[in-house]
Amino acid sequence: MVPWVYEFHWTAFHVTFLLIFFTVFVTVAATIIIALRRTQQDEQQHRMESIQWHSDFEDLAPAMKVCRHELNGDVQHRVCDNEFDCRSCTLHPVFSARKKKGSLLQYEVYGFSMPPYRLYHRGHTWVQQEDDGTFKVGIDDFGSRIIGRPHSIELPPIGSHLSVNGRGILVRRSDSTIRLLSPIDGEVIGHGNSEKGWYLKVRADNPERATTHLLKAEEVPNWILREMERLQFSFATSGVGATLADGGELVPDFHKHFPKADWDSVLGQMFLEA
Amino acid sequence: MDKLLIPRGLQRTTFEKFLLWIIPWLALLAVGAYAIYLCLAEGLFHTNMDNRFAFGIWIFLDLTVIALGAGAFFTGFLLYILRRKELKAVINSAVVIGLICYSGAVLVLMVDVGQPLRAWFTFWHPNTHSMLTEVTFCLTCYLIVLLIEYVPIVLKNRQLRQIPKFLVFEFELHKLMPVFAGIGTFLSFFHQGSLGGLFGVLRGRPFAFREELGIWPSTFFLFVISAAAAGPSFVMLTTTLVEKITRKRLVKDEVYRFLGKVSGCMLIIYVLLKSIDTLIWINSTSPGNGFPAFEFYATQSFGTWILFTEIVVLGLIPALVLLSSRLRQNKRYLFGAGFLVCSGIMLNRFVMTIQTLALPTLPFDNFLTYAPSWEEVAAFAFVIAYGVILYSLTFRYSVIFPQERELGQTNGELSMREFAQSRSVFKQPKFVTRLIDTFSSTK
Repeated sequence: MVPWVYEFHWTAFHVTFLLIFFTVFVTVAATIIIALRRTQQDEQQHRMESIQWHSDFEDLAPAMKVCRHELNGDVQHRVCDNEFDCRSCTLHPVFSARKKKGSLLQYEVYGFSMPPYRLYHRGHTWVQQEDDGTFKVGIDDFGSRIIGRPHSIELPPIGSHLSVNGRGILVRRSDSTIRLLSPIDGEVIGHGNSEKGWYLKVRADNPERATTHLLKAEEVPNWILREMERLQFSFATSGVGATLADGGELVPDFHKHFPKADWDSVLGQMFLEA
Repeated sequence: MDKLLIPRGLQRTTFEKFLLWIIPWLALLAVGAYAIYLCLAEGLFHTNMDNRFAFGIWIFLDLTVIALGAGAFFTGFLLYILRRKELKAVINSAVVIGLICYSGAVLVLMVDVGQPLRAWFTFWHPNTHSMLTEVTFCLTCYLIVLLIEYVPIVLKNRQLRQIPKFLVFEFELHKLMPVFAGIGTFLSFFHQGSLGGLFGVLRGRPFAFREELGIWPSTFFLFVISAAAAGPSFVMLTTTLVEKITRKRLVKDEVYRFLGKVSGCMLIIYVLLKSIDTLIWINSTSPGNGFPAFEFYATQSFGTWILFTEIVVLGLIPALVLLSSRLRQNKRYLFGAGFLVCSGIMLNRFVMTIQTLALPTLPFDNFLTYAPSWEEVAAFAFVIAYGVILYSLTFRYSVIFPQERELGQTNGELSMREFAQSRSVFKQPKFVTRLIDTFSSTK
């Protein structure tokens, strides 16, 4: 059938059949080669973290992807299609321009310490700008209470580069390892710890646009309310049953009340990791 | 270790229970493997086939699983080419089912041919006058495509996705899925068609022989359309079976209804064309070859009831049920109709293989009877056991149903009243209680 095999004849049928077969074969092979080549390029261009987040975000349930402007009541229903990066969103500036000024800013939101001078990431980290233009990064009170007492916290080395929604802080517990998303783009220039109340000091790549995607103090109450709801649902799926009450304040020693919960699953859902 | 392999947020049974589920299938796999060994090592005399009855249970079931596995290509075509996004919920399952069906069919064919070490002959020295050449080439290529489509599902495993290169490769491969979906559709069109065409060109078998439409007999097109009708129904049935076994909701009801609608649309076209084809065969093709068509139904157990069952009971009735939006709302009707569609395809493939070969064609011929040997049955049981094991492992350690997490939350969602009754963890500000009251009343 193939030209150098004895059954082959230079007829229209043989040639057409071979052409079709080899076209299919070449297309399949070329597609695989393209996928491998692109993988290599992604690696060279350091796109691994954004792809990791893209994959995690895609696996989130639609209820977990709601737009911040839905939480704020600016729009009835909207699922974020920018992977929680409002910097590339065309609607975010429109909604933000409509924002009413003069909301009452609270330090404590439903029992959580959420200082209004900080900006919050949907993955429960915060950012605070310092006088020298650098940014401190920490874990918000809600996130800290869910994590409880970790076995260890792994910070990215000084000099390394963080990208928004890439891997920021790695928290290890006995039952789970969870990555916290970086809230900001920039170079790590210092390490903190839980006593200091912050974990990283970062020099932002572009300070003007560095925090556009982060939640402001007036957006925090609605977001926290939704997070409490999410927490309830995440427990409902982890085999705990009817355990949570009707909202209110999260007690600090949260873990003790749910020793049998699937904490790995709860943490994954709350910190947006598939 | 087992827990670390299970995707985060998905509830799976304990490893011990999973083993209890797998062990009987492994036993069946072992019996099947022994039967395959006997057929390959000692010869095909272990089967009840002979030179006259050369197509037995293996070819009949091969044709059936290839038709049922068509859900992979047709769902892929609808999702990636026609952009029916709702099918994203079942595409992984369709691919796994397709892979099981096609790899199982190829395995059984290797045993059936009896010389697996010479399988490459069919590519190097193909019989260019045989429909089976087209089938062999397309089937092999499509199996490769299915394996490629299966790779991203495996790479979604929790531990494998921790390896950045695998995750990125999965991401890049996924972006190119429309190319594979297109190739899969092209290949499936030809091999499904050629499997049908194979019977349509049997001039010596007037029961199966059909007039040509262009270069292909009508059975070519009937096989393609019937496979496209059965594939979505089989995906629907397997998904609901997995739901029943695991006691979880895995896809939303609208996905089932859409699959049912697609299946119904394709089936009504098939029933129409099959009816026209049968009428032409009864009135023209068969008498033209010297056989009044009803003579074929006067023999032994294959009466006209089989034709009526195939076209009306397992064709027209489920098609009408699936096309009715009111009846599709009722799951009993929906899945019942889906079951009839799959049974109809099975009956059609049975008629084309077993009935065709059983009927006498020469004056001195007798009606042939055939019953499969235990080796033949066990060899096919091997495929079923292998399919169940592969599907179970993929379901346990990868994400087959993307909506499972979301639906798991809906299932587990406790009523707000229940939350309010348990006050061990939360204190109760009145504002929150009021808000939750509002939330509860809107549910």
